[in-house]
Amino acid sequence: MKILVVTEQREGQWNRASFETLAAAQQAARDTGASISAAVVGKGVGALAKELAAHKVAEVFSIEHDLLEKYTPDGYTLALKQVISTEKPDFVFFPHTYQVRDFAPKLAASLGRGMIADCVGLRHENGKLIFVRQMFQGKTAADVVFQGDAPWFASFQAGAFRGDQVEMGGTSSPRTVAVDLKPDQIRTKPLELFREAKQAVDLTQAPIIVAIGRGIKEPTNIPLAEKLAQAIGGEIAASRPICDEGWLPMERQIGSSGQTVAPKLYMAIGISGAIQHVVGMKGSRTIVAINKDANAPIFEVADYGIVGDLFEIVPALTEELAKSK
Amino acid sequence: MPVAPQRETLEADVLIVGGGPAGLACALHLAALIKKHNESGAKPELSTENIYLLEKGREIGANQLSGAVMDPRGLAELVPDFEKSAPLDTPVTDDAAWFFTSKGAWKFPITPPPLRNHGNYVISLSKLSKWLGGLVEKTGVNLFTGFAGSSLILEGDRVCGVITDDKGLDKNSKAKSNYTPGYELRAKVTVLAEGPRGSLTKQLVSHAKLDGLNPQVYSIGVKELWEVPDGRIKPGFVAHTMGWPVPASMYGGGWLYGMQGNRVSVGLVIGLEYADPLFDPHEAFQKYKTHPFIRRVLEGGKLVRYGAKTIPAGGWYSMPRPYVDGALIIGDSGSFLDAQKLKGIHMAIKSGMMAAETILDALAKGNASAKALSAFKDRVDASWAKKQLWSVRNFHQGFAHGLVPGLFHAAFQQISGGRGLVDPMRAHAGHEAYAHLDGRKPPAERFKGDGKLTFDRLTDVYHSGTRHDDDEPCHLLVSDTNICVGRCTQEFGNPCQYFCPAAVYEMVEERGERKLKINAANCVHCKTCDIADPYQIITWVPPEGGGGPNYEGM
Repeated sequence: MKILVVTEQREGQWNRASFETLAAAQQAARDTGASISAAVVGKGVGALAKELAAHKVAEVFSIEHDLLEKYTPDGYTLALKQVISTEKPDFVFFPHTYQVRDFAPKLAASLGRGMIADCVGLRHENGKLIFVRQMFQGKTAADVVFQGDAPWFASFQAGAFRGDQVEMGGTSSPRTVAVDLKPDQIRTKPLELFREAKQAVDLTQAPIIVAIGRGIKEPTNIPLAEKLAQAIGGEIAASRPICDEGWLPMERQIGSSGQTVAPKLYMAIGISGAIQHVVGMKGSRTIVAINKDANAPIFEVADYGIVGDLFEIVPALTEELAKSK
Repeated sequence: MPVAPQRETLEADVLIVGGGPAGLACALHLAALIKKHNESGAKPELSTENIYLLEKGREIGANQLSGAVMDPRGLAELVPDFEKSAPLDTPVTDDAAWFFTSKGAWKFPITPPPLRNHGNYVISLSKLSKWLGGLVEKTGVNLFTGFAGSSLILEGDRVCGVITDDKGLDKNSKAKSNYTPGYELRAKVTVLAEGPRGSLTKQLVSHAKLDGLNPQVYSIGVKELWEVPDGRIKPGFVAHTMGWPVPASMYGGGWLYGMQGNRVSVGLVIGLEYADPLFDPHEAFQKYKTHPFIRRVLEGGKLVRYGAKTIPAGGWYSMPRPYVDGALIIGDSGSFLDAQKLKGIHMAIKSGMMAAETILDALAKGNASAKALSAFKDRVDASWAKKQLWSVRNFHQGFAHGLVPGLFHAAFQQISGGRGLVDPMRAHAGHEAYAHLDGRKPPAERFKGDGKLTFDRLTDVYHSGTRHDDDEPCHLLVSDTNICVGRCTQEFGNPCQYFCPAAVYEMVEERGERKLKINAANCVHCKTCDIADPYQIITWVPPEGGGGPNYEGM
């Protein structure tokens, strides 16, 4: 029996879950006596293949082609389909990554096979490999077995197996497997890799926070508060209604369903002081509140309060701060 | 919505939707019956592992709330040694009915029989349910918390099961990274035990035309749990009050129960069939606490928890037909509540047990058709549940025009085994009772409270522990918001802002335009909006499972 482990790399860097999949395959091989082939897909991945070969597997090969340099679902599916037909593995194992979710079902379906995805474990019973996956948000585990003929496809949940427990001591020499791909077979064009914007600010670390609430009335008035924040050297934040409307991102929300902060100075502008907000900021060293409602609960926690129109007071404050610089 | 997602299918023998006293009693009793059945060698052999119970709350008891003074009759049948094992707070020691005016309180010289509670227990329904849930788990029944029954699987008039909630949808119903479509849970018998105004029950009753003689009518109960200084109240002290602040034109009354550990359960019930669309049950409850009788118990104490829930008050004549091919309706969903005593827990348990007996027969014979399941109704008819419900079958209807007519009718019903002057007395859906505003202006300012004895809505909501994902679809479906900003403002002044005890609905001005703002995250799952909106355009559906209030101790 042969298990093919399809590893994942991007721009020459491993997705480390690949080694967890290798560990899963090694467990299955110990139980069943199967042999393991490990593959790297891409262009110019010889170095990675060598690294793979240091692990205890029967053989390693690179699946190379110009059109595999950047990931595309068509490219990977067509290439692996060819490899599977020549190498004839019984099992094909993947790490359950976003990329695998994109192409592996397509690959399995193109061969008329099913796939057991996101497995958290493997067992060997009565000569069969049993794959364990979670149901009901992890409250139960289901044993799933394949029906029908090989190849059988499975992916493994990140963390289900230990990448650092992969057996080393491999002695194989990697080989290259050529595949046949034509540009018109690749229907998608991969663009620049998207790098998620780092969270702009960690409010819990900001020493000064200027927070706005419903009193700001319109999103077009927010720059008023932002100017104050700039003048005083603080970060802008908001109570829930502002973020609910999308006027500021969720990460700027302060309160029971947002961040809890305790800066040196907290300015609550047009915030009523509902308990849901107050629990998120009452630990602040000094609280200044501006609200036109003298009975607003925020004044109960504020050290300094101005009962007045924020649209008059905030610009005036900003001006004074600019002068004093 | 994601295009027809592929759903995983699971097959069960029995699927119970709702982890309250009705659903849990059904599961527990069925497990016991299955054990006896298997032990007797009867075939086919049955397994508790093929019984699934779904509860939308984070854990059993999380969304459970009641006063409560429980009649132990149902529990005694379900768990004979309940007195030793159940988490009963305290037996009722002192029991009285009072009439309030704005400053005074008159004790009824004789407590009217329906309000006598000797032999009953003050309990936390949430604690009781949690305990029952523990017993159910031990039997091998599959209890799934954080899972809601989102829609029925209907084939013609046959209920084949339930689709559970989709997980990981964002506020635009697009898949998030943790998207998992709901399961298609198919079952031979589905038991709807969703509590008052169950969403699947509503769907089924409408689809299969199961309505009883009267439409169901509801009351809202608004409750707070307090911790008070020593010596203010004895555990087991039970007071039920009528009169102030409930106007004589409305049905309602309050309660004050002393519990162990200086805890106090206090609340107000209001019938959701009043004429004034601007009436605010939450505000009325806050005022109630300022009455000297209540204030002297609570003053200086601490608010521990807040919650609200509706009560099905229609009784026997509002009971939908409780069986169809493949399904049974029990508990509050099936109108199993004594509207005179406002007691439903013992009824819920009994209905769950009778359903279990019916289901065992159905599974043993391999027949879960409407005809086979109609045996449930036969069992109900022969039980003390029917006797009790029958004797108060016209009670709530008598109060449709206020306190005085209600008491008048009740007196006649009391001496005629429930028949009274009109039998059956018809009821109208509560939302039809609103009178038009006719130029009346809504209040300029909403009730703020003093923050010590009385609270504004938002503060109370905070104490309900209710949480929902910030980024999930809104579970309050308003089919036509044009009505909100047009007709409803004119005719009724947007009563959703007043009857919702959780500040979910707000009419706001945005760029000169009036619009409805729904703060779905505040929802405490009481169902008042689904019931009381004058145009019946609000449909409450279960939000992603696990969301909702945390009614510990309630």
